[in-house]
Amino acid sequence: MTATTTAEEKEPASGGSGRPARARRKEMSETTLGRVFVTPAIFLMALVALFPVIYAFVISLQGYTGRQNEGFAGIDNYVTALTDDRFWTSLQFTLIFTVTSVAAEFLIGLGFALLMNQAFRGRGLTRAAILVPWVIPTVIAAQMWFFMFNVTPGFINSLFGLGDFSWLGQSGWASFAIIFADVWKTAPFVALLLLAGLQTIPGDVYEGARVDGATMFQRFWYITMPLLKPAILVALLFRTVEALRVYDLPQVMTGGAFDTESLSILVQQYVVRTPDPGLGSALSTITFILILGVGLVFVNLLGKDLVIGEEDSK
Amino acid sequence: MSRPTRRGRWMAAGAVSLLAVTACTPGGGGDGEGEGGGEMVWAIGGSEAQPGGVHQKVAKLWSEENPDNPITIEILPDEADAQREQQALELQAEGSNFDVLGMDVIWTGEYSVNGWLESLEDVRADIEEVSLPGAVESAIWDGELWAAPFNTNAGFLYYRTDLVDKPPTTWEEMCEMAIEIGEQEDIGGYIGQGARYEGFVVNWLELYWSGGGELFNEDQSEVAFDVDIATQATEFLAEAKESGCLAPGFNTALEDEARNVFQSGDAVFMRNWPSFYSVVKDGGTPVAENFDVAPLPTFTGEGTISAAGGFNLAVSAFSDNIEGAKEFVVWAATNEEVQTMLATEASLPPTMESVYEKLSDDPVMALLGEVLPDAKPRPPAPQWNEISVEMQRALFPAYNGEGDPAEASQSVLEFLESTVE
Repeated sequence: MTATTTAEEKEPASGGSGRPARARRKEMSETTLGRVFVTPAIFLMALVALFPVIYAFVISLQGYTGRQNEGFAGIDNYVTALTDDRFWTSLQFTLIFTVTSVAAEFLIGLGFALLMNQAFRGRGLTRAAILVPWVIPTVIAAQMWFFMFNVTPGFINSLFGLGDFSWLGQSGWASFAIIFADVWKTAPFVALLLLAGLQTIPGDVYEGARVDGATMFQRFWYITMPLLKPAILVALLFRTVEALRVYDLPQVMTGGAFDTESLSILVQQYVVRTPDPGLGSALSTITFILILGVGLVFVNLLGKDLVIGEEDSK
Repeated sequence: MSRPTRRGRWMAAGAVSLLAVTACTPGGGGDGEGEGGGEMVWAIGGSEAQPGGVHQKVAKLWSEENPDNPITIEILPDEADAQREQQALELQAEGSNFDVLGMDVIWTGEYSVNGWLESLEDVRADIEEVSLPGAVESAIWDGELWAAPFNTNAGFLYYRTDLVDKPPTTWEEMCEMAIEIGEQEDIGGYIGQGARYEGFVVNWLELYWSGGGELFNEDQSEVAFDVDIATQATEFLAEAKESGCLAPGFNTALEDEARNVFQSGDAVFMRNWPSFYSVVKDGGTPVAENFDVAPLPTFTGEGTISAAGGFNLAVSAFSDNIEGAKEFVVWAATNEEVQTMLATEASLPPTMESVYEKLSDDPVMALLGEVLPDAKPRPPAPQWNEISVEMQRALFPAYNGEGDPAEASQSVLEFLESTVE
């Protein structure tokens, strides 16, 4: 893009009087027209995506008693949020949940993807079966896993003969159950993204490697992994961002008991249940910044990777 | 209170709230009619608001009798919190779409302080004359009557008649029986609402109140919280959990989980609302023929105490037909036919005293008549939701062995004090 622009800008200086005008008109029409076409979309996106973010930030600087506005409060809400134990406990759970669930989903998803990428009888059926958990709405999956883990009816306890083991009624195991349910639910999604990545790797690369005597592990480590990197980053980006704003699973399975209160549950509480829109908005702004930061790190990694990929292909 | 539920109703709540959202948009009905007349909208949730439910029958009865002022129901979500949010969205915007509000007994203070309600002081005498005092109390904030009682609720002790000869009168006695019989029969002891949510606060308050504790003084201007009684109540629960008096799954049980445990014969005792009587009776398990209900025990063995729940009907301050709406809520609270329908068609405990005498042949109604005079409403303070969340956060870990009961009680006291300043 930069290259074309400079080439065209140089032209008027060297060329005659007729041509540059036409060239400029052509250039104008392309970018300007492009901008004109893009404007409604950008405007709409700003309205839908940017406006609520800015509005939440504005509200987060207001003081409230219940639902009544008490005027400008500066950073009071942020101070309240950041000095509250509750915020740090829920941040801790959210981070533990994110790291462990995304790691497990990635490993299992990668396994599924490699499996589904093989040619074997019943591959179509396997692919469909693996995707079933992902198409179940999260709230319903959460309710289902609540029944599975809870003492009554206690399906898991009966299955493994664990008696009255209270999965959801004690610290540690409650988090485990939630993470387990999330992995069950979204590992297929990761598998799907990675499978798409795997299918873009041309088969002749593997053939070449095999001719050179690379072992299966070497083929995986030196060919599959590097070529799969963009897909891996996209999958991790999606999952991390989603895991950071987890709400439904802990809300339905434990109601936030036993240190399973996520940041989003906290935000929901201050926005809806015990309304303090200022504090609620401050918490959601903090959550937003956290997710934005993580997102930017990934996009940065991804961007670099894509550029390298392009250079390689040239 | 509508039995506060969280799980199991999510799907329905989600679906209904979508409907409710679309219904809240301008043109959703009820607006644009002239002053002092026309169709009214009654915003209420729960299963009885659905087609075929008793609330629909009440609305139909009114509309037949008052063709000039008919009323229709705007069905709100099943879950109490979601209902409150739907109403708050409308009222915060000063919208006139809702004329009559089905209001949980604990919302009175919040709604009235926000200026969302029309005072019912001018019809107070008519209502007080026939309604249960506890129900009226739940509709009063700052000395003024803001809603007409509609239905109430109280906790029962369900017990197994094949295992227990005589229901216990003290909590300690109940736990001794629960442990002994539980071990003999290899089942759990006592199940209630022990998960971390509003229902736990209700269960805990019944312990605390039965030990003689109070939250606020008479006019709710000062905190009357007793840290020692609170500690005793929490320690009782903590010890009950340790000793096996509490059935497994107590600390993750809501109303329906508790019912499930009791109904499948896995518990000796259960604390639950009266509406579950018919559920267990018609449940088809062996327990159906072998259970009965009794008043909740106390720490002293004297009397009984129960947390009152239920719904009151309030008039929106932004209604276009305030007079009509007022007539409706008074009618619903004082009309014997309506109040009897609540009991006979939906096992919703009515608030009209005379109905209990009329229906005293029914075991549930007879026991309710006995229990309700001693039922205490949770304070209808504007900050009740905040108080409840704080109590859950302090007391729930304490009874689960993850906090000190005395410290937890102290922090509840401090929070209560911060709300009256």
